Amino acid sequence: MNKTLKIAIYSGEIPSTTFIERLIKGLSEKNCQIILFGGLKKRTAYASKNILVKGYKRNKISKGIYLLYYTLLLTLFKHKDKKQLDNILKAQSKNDLYDKVKYYPVLWHKPDVFHIQWAKGVNEWLWVQSFGIKLVLSLRGAHINYSPIANQDLANTYKASFPKVDAFHAVSKAIAKEATKYGADINKIDVVYSGLDLDLFKNANDNLPENEVLQVISVGRPHWKKGYAYALDAFKLLLDQNFQFKYTIVGGVNLELQYQIEELGLKPYVNVINHVSFDEVQRLIKSSDLLLLPSTEEGIANVVLEAMANGKLVLTTNCGGMEETVIDGENGFVIPIRNTTEMASKIIKVSNLSNQEKQQIITNAREIIHKQHTNDLMVEGMLQLYQSI
Amino acid sequence: MTKSNTYTQTVGLVLSAAPGYSETFFRNKIRGLQANGIKVILFVDYPSNDSNDLNCNIVVAPKFDGFINQFLNSIIAILKAVFMTPKASLIHLKLDKADGLSFKQRIINLTRNQYFLNHDLDWLHFGYGMLASNRENVAQTIKAKMGVSFRGYDLYLSPLKHINCYMRLFSKTIQYHVLSHKMKEKLMTQHISEDDIKVITPAINTSTFSNSQRKEIPNDTLQILCVSRLHWVKGIHYLLEALAFLKRDNIDFKLTIIGDGEEKERLIFAAHQYQILDQVTFTGKLPQSQVIDYYKSSNLYVQYSIQEGFGNAVLEAQAMGLLCVVSDADGLQQNILHDKTGWIVPKRNPKALAEKIVEVHRLSSEKKHAITEAAVHRVNTDFSLEVQNKLFLEFYKG
Repeated sequence: MNKTLKIAIYSGEIPSTTFIERLIKGLSEKNCQIILFGGLKKRTAYASKNILVKGYKRNKISKGIYLLYYTLLLTLFKHKDKKQLDNILKAQSKNDLYDKVKYYPVLWHKPDVFHIQWAKGVNEWLWVQSFGIKLVLSLRGAHINYSPIANQDLANTYKASFPKVDAFHAVSKAIAKEATKYGADINKIDVVYSGLDLDLFKNANDNLPENEVLQVISVGRPHWKKGYAYALDAFKLLLDQNFQFKYTIVGGVNLELQYQIEELGLKPYVNVINHVSFDEVQRLIKSSDLLLLPSTEEGIANVVLEAMANGKLVLTTNCGGMEETVIDGENGFVIPIRNTTEMASKIIKVSNLSNQEKQQIITNAREIIHKQHTNDLMVEGMLQLYQSI
Repeated sequence: MTKSNTYTQTVGLVLSAAPGYSETFFRNKIRGLQANGIKVILFVDYPSNDSNDLNCNIVVAPKFDGFINQFLNSIIAILKAVFMTPKASLIHLKLDKADGLSFKQRIINLTRNQYFLNHDLDWLHFGYGMLASNRENVAQTIKAKMGVSFRGYDLYLSPLKHINCYMRLFSKTIQYHVLSHKMKEKLMTQHISEDDIKVITPAINTSTFSNSQRKEIPNDTLQILCVSRLHWVKGIHYLLEALAFLKRDNIDFKLTIIGDGEEKERLIFAAHQYQILDQVTFTGKLPQSQVIDYYKSSNLYVQYSIQEGFGNAVLEAQAMGLLCVVSDADGLQQNILHDKTGWIVPKRNPKALAEKIVEVHRLSSEKKHAITEAAVHRVNTDFSLEVQNKLFLEFYKG
């Protein structure tokens, strides 16, 4: 296939999350033209000429001008297409200006592939297929793992839409399997793992920190799915056993966790840090002995991958696709989800390892990251996916 | 008592919204006071459609949200301060100044609180602790006594969210009302005199919630009920974890949770991951008559809260003749007498909860009967609306 692929990467907002931005940059270096649609969170410019930003500012006036511009272009030069889309939208009662401001630019630019990052919006974009655009959907996190379990309407939307999607990108094998419950054809799902920019970690050394007490760190916003409530209960068990530790949470705590810390008498042992830069997070991880991921749900958590690349021991729950990267006792440690006693005893076990054992695990961890989670692998994997449809 | 008095006492009750039909606590309090010749004026932020039957004057606070509301209502409040309540307004400003408030804050407080100042009250009683924030000097300004109720969340959690939010409040002369002895103890740690704190527990209508129509439920199925907002303070995720232990041990059960809230997705996902979702029903919020049906058709009530002012639903469940297992959170320790009217399990310990549920389930019918009898008797004697009314009358006499 020699033709330059025109790929729209759609997450609803520009710029998107770190890993989606990495994908955009990577693909633009591979003879692909990338078009970004959606609302502009802030002024965004890319060095690559292969990335076209066709987003709109999120105020009414900008949206109005933007809509007018594309309405005019379509009316003058692609009148038939516009009429066809208008009829489709009318039939779905999605004919208001808010919808058109999203859809018209896509119709005008007609990418070869329209790649949606979040499943909840999938039924809004099925129309692109009527214009020969291939629809690709990423299977990520909560949108697949729990939202449709708690929301039957959403599950039904998925069941109606997933069989129509041309191809899926799954962030893990586990989430691929989960999506088949809603009618996604397993043969149309490619697992492409999240990739890291390993240059960021090339200076990481494997020296173990010399902390007086075990320093454990978790990174992530205080959402219930991150399982901090279980981590705090586990640390309470450790406290009751007179085990010495310091636990740092980067990303802040909510009222529930704040209350739990106070009530369990953990305040002297728990350090809460709100928002810090990527570099500072890496420094904090580096100076800790163990990165803990107490989550109940994840695709594959980037923070664990980054810690492994950074030469750090990791302890994760077996949620989502975590076990596709972390193998217990070999390149990190794994515990069952929602299990505080197992968490506590595994922390003790890790703290009792010899330095040699720790070094071996760190070496193995870095190896799997290099084998499975590089940026190049991610970009190549996605490119193959696009080219296969 | 008050009937022999020619003077009519007036109590101003400050609430965020006028109490709707389901809010037994405030409705009963208001009715009880009125029946004893006390005039009640409600000061609310939002009116409520189903509070028309309360037969009391409802004063709705002016709105200060958005530029136009803020501008217009500030002007109106300042005009009122100058022409209608100049003396009171001056006192209010002076008292706020004595508390060390900035000029700007004093003006804001004066405009926000203006709607109180033309009322002649004997008592100004704030229904929740946070409602008294920036209104600490209103009662003294209008020469009324000040009452503040704490209900749980406002005592235990609001201070974590808003650091030092009660610092000024606790320095004032106030009669406090709390729901349990535990809350009283907590308040006393803030150097508040024991004499200024009255415990008046919630009460229920014992004729609405009565065990006379209980169905006999076969003993082999464990029908567990929990009536609760889906909020983390209610500890439902621990209850689900406890039930995962029961599932592991092949103990058959069904759990019904009545109530709605922000944590629904979290709890459904937890039940899913514990592989008990097909044994758990989330009914959402239900009208009282349907809740009563569930009380009748269940054989165990569990309230495994992390924090609980008192727990009205536990009183209802006891009155309906249900066996109750609760956590040791705050007021629940008073709500249930351990091993006498139900059972108390340490909080955040799902394994202990699971063991207790199984133990209770396996008790002899005689033992179960003895417990429910004692619970029904205690609720009817100590937690009736009449008892509550009497205590509130004493509160305002004091």
